[in-house]
Amino acid sequence: MAIGDYPKEYNPAVHGPYDPARYYGKADTPLAQVKLSELGAWFGRRNKTPSAVTGAISRAWWRWQHKYVQPKRVGMAPFFQLLVANMIFFYSINYGKIKHHRNYKYH
Amino acid sequence: MLSRVALRSVAGQQSVSTTLVARTSATSTEIVGVRDEKNFPRPVRGEPGKVRLGFIPEEWFQFFHSKTGVTGPYTFGVGLTTYLCSKEIYVMEHEYYTGLSIILMVYYATTRFGPKIAKWLDSEVDKVETDLNSDRVETLKFLEETIASEKDAQWRAQGQELLVQAKKENVLLQLEAAYRERLMNTYQEVKRRLDFQLEKTALERRFEQKHLVDWVVTNVSRAITPDQEKQTLDRCIADLAALAKK
Repeated sequence: MAIGDYPKEYNPAVHGPYDPARYYGKADTPLAQVKLSELGAWFGRRNKTPSAVTGAISRAWWRWQHKYVQPKRVGMAPFFQLLVANMIFFYSINYGKIKHHRNYKYH
Repeated sequence: MLSRVALRSVAGQQSVSTTLVARTSATSTEIVGVRDEKNFPRPVRGEPGKVRLGFIPEEWFQFFHSKTGVTGPYTFGVGLTTYLCSKEIYVMEHEYYTGLSIILMVYYATTRFGPKIAKWLDSEVDKVETDLNSDRVETLKFLEETIASEKDAQWRAQGQELLVQAKKENVLLQLEAAYRERLMNTYQEVKRRLDFQLEKTALERRFEQKHLVDWVVTNVSRAITPDQEKQTLDRCIADLAALAKK
């Protein structure tokens, strides 16, 4: 599978038009339904190759796109979400510097 | 649909040609199988996801409802903020106040101009959609008009059949009229000739009769001698005298 190809499991004859937000492989138990004791086994079953991780992030991105950005009449919600996500991201990468601006010595 | 058929036919051709050449290319991506509509339905463009406070997904609140009640998520949010602030994990440095003023401005702009901009953008969205749809709608309209005109043409063709039938009947009528006219003509001609013959015969007979009568009279009057005439006259006078005596 080269860059830009469809996932290996995707078969247009069976699956129809390609949906980038969908996982076409064999479905495992959803994370929300996994019991705590089975969490290790569940995580062990995951495919942790770079391409699989990239695919998972890409699907999440498209799921968010389909839900908040692509509908016909969207509000400001996706823009605010991006804003807040950026704020948190940049706060965390700059945290090492911001730390020095603390006003109190003891907490 | 069509593209899938095309893909299938291309794949079929490839598999044939690649058996002759080397099996190096990715011919293993065979496109075979039955469409699974139940597990893999066509994606549908839905409504945008619901959010609260401008950006927090509704699902987050629903996740809390069963466990903590309706105020739970808000309590959690306030508690978390308090924790982050009090432990100075979130540091209120100079940028914090910049952020507060920016949030105020964004809030004011959103509430003040938001509805108007949303209305205008929605109208633009509708415009784009009608633009994209217009081709299809107009094609449909054109096809419907074509169907209507075709039906009209068929109706007219039926009328044409009636007309042709009427014309045929008309021709038959004309033929009949011509036939009768000729029949009448023949009758009259025959009658005229017969009448002529009749008249001719009658005339001939009349002439013959007249001639014969003339001839007989002439011959008879010629046969009467003067003696006979005198005798007859005398006889007549004697008869008249005898009658006068009576």
